[in-house]
Amino acid sequence: MKKGDAFSVKELPQDLKESLPAVYVDDLLVSLKYFIDEAQSHLKIKDHAVCARCRYKPCLDFCPVGVYTLAHDGKIQVAYQACVECGSCRVGCPYENIEWTLPRGGFGVAYKFG
Amino acid sequence: MNTSDEKIRFDAIVVGAGLAGAAAAMVMARAGLNVALIERGQKAGGKNYFGGAIYTHAIGEVLPDYMDRKPPFERPVTEAGFWMLSKDGGLTKMTVQGGKLGAEPADAYMASRAIFDVWWAEQAQKEGALLIPKTTVLDFIRDSAGQVIGVKTDRAQGDVYAPVVIVCEGVNNLLTQKLGLIDHDLEPAHIALAFKQVIALPMDTINARFGLPDEKHGLAASVLGDVSLGLPGMGFVYTNNTSVSVGLGMMLDAVVEYRLKPYEVLQRYLRHPAIAPLIKGGQLMEYGAHLIPEGGYRDMPKLFTGGAMVAGDAASMVNALHWEGTNMAIVAGKLAAETAIEAHKRGDFSAQTLSQYEARLKDRFILKDMKQYRNFSRFLETHPEFMDAYPSFINDALGQFFSAYGMPKKTLFKNILGSLTSRRQLFKAVGDMLSMGRAVMGW
Repeated sequence: MKKGDAFSVKELPQDLKESLPAVYVDDLLVSLKYFIDEAQSHLKIKDHAVCARCRYKPCLDFCPVGVYTLAHDGKIQVAYQACVECGSCRVGCPYENIEWTLPRGGFGVAYKFG
Repeated sequence: MNTSDEKIRFDAIVVGAGLAGAAAAMVMARAGLNVALIERGQKAGGKNYFGGAIYTHAIGEVLPDYMDRKPPFERPVTEAGFWMLSKDGGLTKMTVQGGKLGAEPADAYMASRAIFDVWWAEQAQKEGALLIPKTTVLDFIRDSAGQVIGVKTDRAQGDVYAPVVIVCEGVNNLLTQKLGLIDHDLEPAHIALAFKQVIALPMDTINARFGLPDEKHGLAASVLGDVSLGLPGMGFVYTNNTSVSVGLGMMLDAVVEYRLKPYEVLQRYLRHPAIAPLIKGGQLMEYGAHLIPEGGYRDMPKLFTGGAMVAGDAASMVNALHWEGTNMAIVAGKLAAETAIEAHKRGDFSAQTLSQYEARLKDRFILKDMKQYRNFSRFLETHPEFMDAYPSFINDALGQFFSAYGMPKKTLFKNILGSLTSRRQLFKAVGDMLSMGRAVMGW
């Protein structure tokens, strides 16, 4: 996977693309338990100008819990409260534009089964 | 943490109360060391998520009487193997059951990490280790020569000192990078993003649907074929007592580049005509996601430095083909602990003394296997047909072989061959098998 401006996307064959069902991720998130740190986010966009320049914004899709969404003003917004701390965005953001830290001790996802 | 000016000192610090960390703490505490086991979650295992199954050879190596201590295992793995899904809804099962898999205690048990790891850490506590939960380690404390002598945590006055630190932080190797043992993040092409659902079903329903005689029998299957959209990846099915874990892992670079929504790929898999009836009527208990470091030997960091060692996922100790990782983590944790005990005897925690850890890993299956399979992760990157074309061919071939079409068998075999060559040219297929053999044997 190329990083930075060299990053480009690939397309699935049309039939496979159409075989993907629409899923409302919140229906899955209700099954998760969190201790939410109301005081601070452990995820930050380093520079919103970089996101504005990012052509494909893959974080909107690849985050397995849909933390990253597009606000009305076109900025990426970060719903860190839903984060399961997997680390996909830490290494998957083509511009390495996400400041990824661990939640403060005790906060964040608390798996019941795992 | 401390209210006086006294520094908080231990003989050893372990970062992360997962399988590797609690194993390390257990072994050191048993040898009489004063051990702090620091965990960022509310409980041990609260951040952990896997398929999955736990191997008893590793548990028993650290805790020979583990069965008497009533580990919270789910079903034993009495049936294991591969399932292959085809696009037209077919399913071919290639599993083994009975024989060695019928032994008791079993070679492997299904488990839920958030439950199992609590028990595992309790065994370390019983040996005398102090579990410190809800505490995130941020960095290291070093002496003037740069040797690690403790950790900085996010607690107020949270510096904790020890002459040796065992880092079992998991796949997001922030601390391992801070130690300078690896100078880069892992590549998305070498990491699998795994995501799954735990789905509750009555015990009898699981028995009936998976063909298991009773709750003393369980299935663990890797699912190939129409699972990962033709991209490098693999599904899995594990039967717990009263739930099933169904999910898949895909290489992260593909998920990013194809802009896939993991939960859509998972839902598509759960709706496959061969999978849907197995989970029908089940209730979603938990969804989640986790990374797996699948880069293998070439992605392993240096394993020690003055005052510190690294074990488990943080050190990329995963053998993806054989579903191994939990066992390596446990045994590596134990070997790091034995090295720390030896260092205490010598009163020397230098890199030279801790290099014994690597020597111990080399003596065991861990570094032997990691080295032998060093090319395997790269192999699947360049041979996605093992995930897609071949499983669907096997489905097709068996489907044709066992159907009476009223055609001469010569035509049948020609059709089967055609079903292979339409997917992969014959000479390429032969080449694939050879390079697969090379990748596995480490030639």
